[in-house]
This record gives sequence, structure tokens and C-alpha cells, in this order.
Amino acid sequence: MKNPLKKFFDDTKPLFTGDGKYKKYEPIWDATKTFFFLPSVKTLVMPFVRDHLDLKRYMSIVILALLPVTFFGIYNTGYQAGIGAGESWSVTRCFLIGAWYVLPIIMVSYVVGFAWEFLFAVVRRHNISEGFLVTGLLFPLTLPPTIPLWQVALGISFGVVIGKEVFGGTGRNILNPALTGRAFLFFSYPVSMSGDVWVAGKHLMDGVTGATALSVTGAGGQSITAALYDAGYSLGRLFTGFVPGSVGETSALCCLIGAAILMVTRIANYRIIIGGIAGFVITTIIVYLIPGGQDSWSNAGPFYHLCAGGFLFGISFMATDPVSAPGTNPGRWIFGAAIGFLTVIIRVGNPAFMEGVMLAILFMNVFAPLLDHLVLKYKSSKRIPNV
Amino acid sequence: MKILKIPRGFDLNVAEQPDLSCTHLALPSSLGCCAGDIPHIRPKLLVKEGQRVNTGEALFTDKRDTTIQYVSPATGQVKTVIYGPRRRLMEVVIATESEDEYVEYDPVDLNGIVGMPRDELVACLKKGGLWQGLLRFPALDCAEPDHSPAMIIVAMDGNDLFSPRPDIILKDNIAAFEAGMAILRRFSNRLSVVCRESSLEGIWEIGRSVAEQITHTAPDIYPAWHPGAVLYQIKQQAAENNSWCIRLDHLVMMGRFLLSGRYPVEKIVTITGPGERQPHMRVRQGMPLSALVGKIPGNSLVTTGRFNGRILEKDAHIGLFENTVNIIEAGPGEEMFGFARPGLDKPTLSSTFLSSLFRRPAKMDCTLHGEERACINCSYCERICPNDLMPAFIMKALHADDLEDALALGLMDCCRCGLCSFVCPSKIELTQILSDAMDAYYKDKE
Ligand code: SF4
Ligand code: SF4
Repeated sequence: MKNPLKKFFDDTKPLFTGDGKYKKYEPIWDATKTFFFLPSVKTLVMPFVRDHLDLKRYMSIVILALLPVTFFGIYNTGYQAGIGAGESWSVTRCFLIGAWYVLPIIMVSYVVGFAWEFLFAVVRRHNISEGFLVTGLLFPLTLPPTIPLWQVALGISFGVVIGKEVFGGTGRNILNPALTGRAFLFFSYPVSMSGDVWVAGKHLMDGVTGATALSVTGAGGQSITAALYDAGYSLGRLFTGFVPGSVGETSALCCLIGAAILMVTRIANYRIIIGGIAGFVITTIIVYLIPGGQDSWSNAGPFYHLCAGGFLFGISFMATDPVSAPGTNPGRWIFGAAIGFLTVIIRVGNPAFMEGVMLAILFMNVFAPLLDHLVLKYKSSKRIPNV
Repeated sequence: MKILKIPRGFDLNVAEQPDLSCTHLALPSSLGCCAGDIPHIRPKLLVKEGQRVNTGEALFTDKRDTTIQYVSPATGQVKTVIYGPRRRLMEVVIATESEDEYVEYDPVDLNGIVGMPRDELVACLKKGGLWQGLLRFPALDCAEPDHSPAMIIVAMDGNDLFSPRPDIILKDNIAAFEAGMAILRRFSNRLSVVCRESSLEGIWEIGRSVAEQITHTAPDIYPAWHPGAVLYQIKQQAAENNSWCIRLDHLVMMGRFLLSGRYPVEKIVTITGPGERQPHMRVRQGMPLSALVGKIPGNSLVTTGRFNGRILEKDAHIGLFENTVNIIEAGPGEEMFGFARPGLDKPTLSSTFLSSLFRRPAKMDCTLHGEERACINCSYCERICPNDLMPAFIMKALHADDLEDALALGLMDCCRCGLCSFVCPSKIELTQILSDAMDAYYKDKE
């Protein structure tokens, strides 16, 4: 028996292709169809056999790697709301409350973002690239759960249109679209994005704020680690992620699981992640060894730095976006290491921007083509010329 | 003997290996001389439909060098002349007669080959329709006899994973092989004879003297044994860029031709496809596809090399440069939620399907498994390229019309193995883009 869904697409095909009535909307029809049914046209030119990996699979793996942080983020939002309400909630309740806050953000991000994608696809008459499947989920994960939904819509619009489509769409963008959107919100609406995240519970019980770990400083000669401990940020908590913060970034553990999935499947280039963590750790050790600053983050040491804030999230999921990262291997090492370095420098050097990683990645995105250019020049000079 | 190492390539386990036995196929009612598989040629027809030709008589030539001839594999009437797009000559089909009448030349023995003036040798091979077996890098056009190449690579194995085994080609042809090597020595004193690791044992068994001349073995990772990949592995200076290469079966044909004075009409062909393993086949040059394979499963593709051959239509004839026929099925069609399946049955060089954990025989099909998208800079193509190229960057340079950059990045080192297109998740036709650019550049320079 024929699959009814397949029948539907077969029946509607004449409307959208060739001289069909809705020819204009072919990309939308195509994207919907190929979402359900993997396209399988015959090869026309050599090689006649092809690998099974395509962009849909590629992006699906990224989504898979994002699932741990997403689910944990949902749970943690509920959990923090519970703390905000001064009660201890059951796991299910945490999940449900968390989902109540987070799912609308994700939905708005996807719906608004896809609307833009469809619009550009129809106007430019090309097929819809799968890249947005990832951007649409990455973006909400970088936001605090209490963000107003209209800001979500605005941010993703900015990310898709300015971060990607003005460059010519997926594959041509210089910046990571999700981060572009976030940076836009960060600078336009600093209140909703600031380090003092209003935890989700404020709607239930007003006036509870939670400062994120990165905005803590030790007062009056207290060391930074002690101050963090007093504020409820023990290293264990920061590692597992039961702390307030943006939806996806709090759990170092889940980010590492995601990074592992990406590296094992070779979807993300391990050079960026390893290089990034190495650069980051080395820089934190160096600033740790520089005397002074007992009470500030410069003295927190690599572990606190790694587990607090969004570095692991950024280096695993944002920096590894292949389009905006360099395309050469030496370039990737440098790119990763520079992000790690810059993140720490921004964190310690300018406490006003606690989230150094966002700026570090965007900054290095801009330099990625230059890194590639230098590597290519070098590589060309090493080849036996053949002209 | 040196062992070549190739850092990357296609090493999936593909079933479908042909059987090592060899059967003889009878003379079919028609044979063809094909121009479709000859690189760069501008064919010029020399015969008319209805004209009777002898075996070894010239059918068409190359406008660029009319001394090179492409000759008839059979005796009989010219049945049809088939043209392709833009009236490019594709095939000359001969209705065969059961008895061959050969165009006869004076046989030359080994000493004769060594003693003969070089011009005469070249003229003889050109007239005999065999000179074109010698190809010149980088564009793999016919060798130019007045060049002295830095090196000649003799490839014992063919272009496909399952091209005929050298020991089967060499059977009863050892003398011809020696004669062929003697011819090559007239043009270069550096001969690199390369065979696949797995072919070596068979060659030792068939003839010590042949095996002792092998200079390099290549691992069984496609395309390690391709002349282009081999050249890249062993070349040390730019002068070697214009080396020559020849495939074992052409070398043997040259030798046989000189030793016997007749056009050698035999060739060994392998047929791979799903289902039963087929034996090697000893057939005539220019066999029609229909006589080689019985029923072709509907919807499948028939090619002469799964990575770098051409598509054979139902009525096509095998060309001089082709000695393997792959029947590739179309696969299961559009799968629901194909992107989310675990994929135990989906062979891949990436690690994104469960199949990558097991080395089960891979079932390849002839579909694209996706749609073309913009390049996402993933470097999969770089990771697979046997010749250390970065196909994505070369492609971008070409799109920006920056030929200088593309050349500096090694465009002309591409051996057209097809692996970059094979792996690209965005389904970009990298090999075709590079290959077209190489040909265009070569044509410009000529
Ligand atoms: S560029 Fe592509 S076709 Fe050329 S050698 Fe590399 S992988 Fe093979
Ligand atoms: S494999 Fe395809 S998508 Fe990836 S870098 Fe190469 S050309 Fe681009």
C-alpha cells in the first residue's frame, strides 16, 4: 500500500513544479517533502555512487548533540523557578514548568526563523538549506528563560536576515547567525540579557533575582572561589548546571556530552573544540599566576572558568559551525585557541561583558577567512608546482 | 620494490568482487569502435556506412593528429555511425563476419623493438591503433612521441575497484608484456610499474619475470593504484608532472601487436553487480553491452567504473579504455524520515551512520542521497582527497574565476578519482567542476 503522506506529495507535485499554479512556492513544498522523504535522484555524472551522508543527516546529528543541553535546560529552568518560589518541586513538575517557559521560546524561534527562510527561498528561488534547523534551536538555548517572546522573534529575525541572508544565505555567511541574533539582543536590550538573570520563578513569586556565576565577585578580600561558594556556585553545581543562566549553557556536563557526540561522529571538527579548550585553560592558568586580583575572576582557575558561563556551550556548538569557522585545519586550531584566549581575556579584563565567549567567537568569525587565506598561501608554497 | 602509502581513500568493503575464473564469450553479431571514452579527441570519420573493413583498418582519427588511428576490432560492414550531442562522433558499429581478415604488418621481435628507429616504432604503433594507450599527465591526453618523459607509470590495475586482475590479463601474454616494456624503454629509462597489494601474489604465480619488474605496490585503498595518485606519491620535482602512463592491458596489446603483426582483438572484462559473482570474461574489443550482461535490472545504472567511468546506454559498446562494467542498482527510493534512521545498511565514509561501526559489505546504489546545497566548509572533501588537495577551496577559486589560485592550490594534481564528490554532504559535483577546469586549462594551453 502506498504511504498516504507520499500520495499527498505525489498528488500535489503538479501544483508546485513545472508550470504549476503555485510554482512560486516550490521551495516550501520541496522542503516539506524532503523533510519527510529523503530525496534520491540518480547520479548523472561520475562518481556514480555517493555517500549516504547529506546535510539533513549532518544537521540532525547536531540537533541530537543539542538534545542533552536542551532537556537539561528545560529541567533546570523549572528547578530554578522552584528555588525562586522557595519550594522543592518534583522532577516532573520542574520539567513541566521549565517546558512552559522554554518551549514557547523555541517555537517562536523556529516559526519566525523559518518564515524568513521561506521568504528568502521563494524570492531567491533556491531550495531551503537545512542549516536553519540548527540555528533555530541554538538561538533559544543562548537566551535567559525569562526573555520576552517578542525579543526572541526580533533576535532570530536579525540573526537570519543580517547574520545570514544578506551575505547570500547558508554557506556564504561570515558570522554565526544564532550568535549574531544573540549579540543583537545583548546590545539592544541589555536588561533582559544581563548577568542578573531574573529566574523564571519571578512570575510566581516576585522579586527574586539570581546573579549568574560570572557576575559574582568576592567582596572585601574574600577569594573568588569562596565568594562563589557562598553564592551557591560550588564547582560541582557549576559542572552539573543547577545554576541560573541561559537555557542551554549552564551545564558543563551536558555540553561535554554534546561535544563528544559531535566529535565522535566527526560532524564538528575536533580541532576547534580541543584547540579552544586548550587555549582557554592555558590562558586561565596564566591569568591565575599573575599576582593580584584575589577577589576577581582572574583568580578563579581553569575549572571554575570552564564550568561557569557559556564557554563550553559556545566552543562546542557555536564555534564549530563549519560555515563561519575556517576551512583549513591549521586555521581551525588557531581559531579555537584564539576563542579560548579571548574569552578569558574579555572575562577578566572587562567585567561589564561577562559573556566573553559570544564576542570572542564573533570576532574570530570575522578573522576566519584571513586565517584560511594565510594557510592556503602556505600550503600552496609547499606543493610541487604543476601548471 | 617500494610500498606506497596512501593516507586517505575509499576503504569500504564492497561485495561484488568478480570471480577469478575466466570464460570466453563468443563473437557477437556487432562490435563497435567507441570514441566516447577517449579524452580530448576531436574525431574525424574515415569510413562510410556500408563500407567493408578489415580487422585493424582505421575507422576514425583525431583531427588534432591524423596519424593516430582508431581501428576496427572486426571484419565486416560498417553498420551504423552513431553521433552524440553536437554531432560528435560516438561509435562506429561493425556487423561482424565470422572469419577475420587482418590488416597485416611485419612482425617485429624483441631485438627488432630495441633496434628499430624510434620514429618508425611510433609510426607503426600509431597506424596499428595502439599508440593512444600511452597517456601524458596531467590531462591524460595522448602522449607526444617527441617528448621524453621523466617517467612512465605502468598501472597493472584498472580504474575500478574490480577491474580485471593483472594475472588474468598476463596469462599467455608474458612475452607480449616483455615486448611492451621494451617499447616503453625506448622512451624513458625510468619505468614505475605499480600494482595493488592484492594483485601481487597472482603476478608472482603467473610469471616471476613480470613480478620482478614491479617497482611499487599500492595498498588496496581506492584510488592508491591509479596512475594519477601514484604519480603524486612518487614525484619529487616539477619535471615529473608530464610523465606518461599506460595501463597493463594496453601495454600487452602493444607487445602483441608488434610480435604478431596483427591488431590484438582480445580483451579481458569484468562485470560487477548485485547478485552472483561473475567470472572474468575474455572477449573482443568493442563488445556491445547487451552481449556482456544479460538482463539489466530496470532503473539501475550501467557504468564503466563506479567512481570515474562513464554511463553506458543499453546499446553502447565498450571502448578501448574501458574494461569493467558496473551494474549499480537504484536503491530503495525515497525513504520516509531517511535522515533519522540509524543506518546500519547505509555505507558511509563519515561516522554518522551505525554502519560505520561495522565493516559489513557495503551495498552501493546509484542515487545521490540528498540534494545539492551550498558548500558548508566541512572539509570532508579535503579529508578524503588522495592527492592532498582542498577541492572546496579550488572550487571556490574557480567560481571566482581565479585560475591562478586554483592552479597554485594544485588543480592539475587532481587524479579525477571522484572521491570528493562521493563524500560531499552538500552533493556538490566537485570532481566534475575540477575536471572540466583542468580540461579547459589544458585546451587553452595547447
Ligand atoms: S580533488 Fe577530488 S577527484 Fe581530484 S584527486 Fe582529490 S578527491 Fe580525487
Ligand atoms: S565536502 Fe562539500 S560541503 Fe564539505 S567542504 Fe567540501 S565541497 Fe564544501
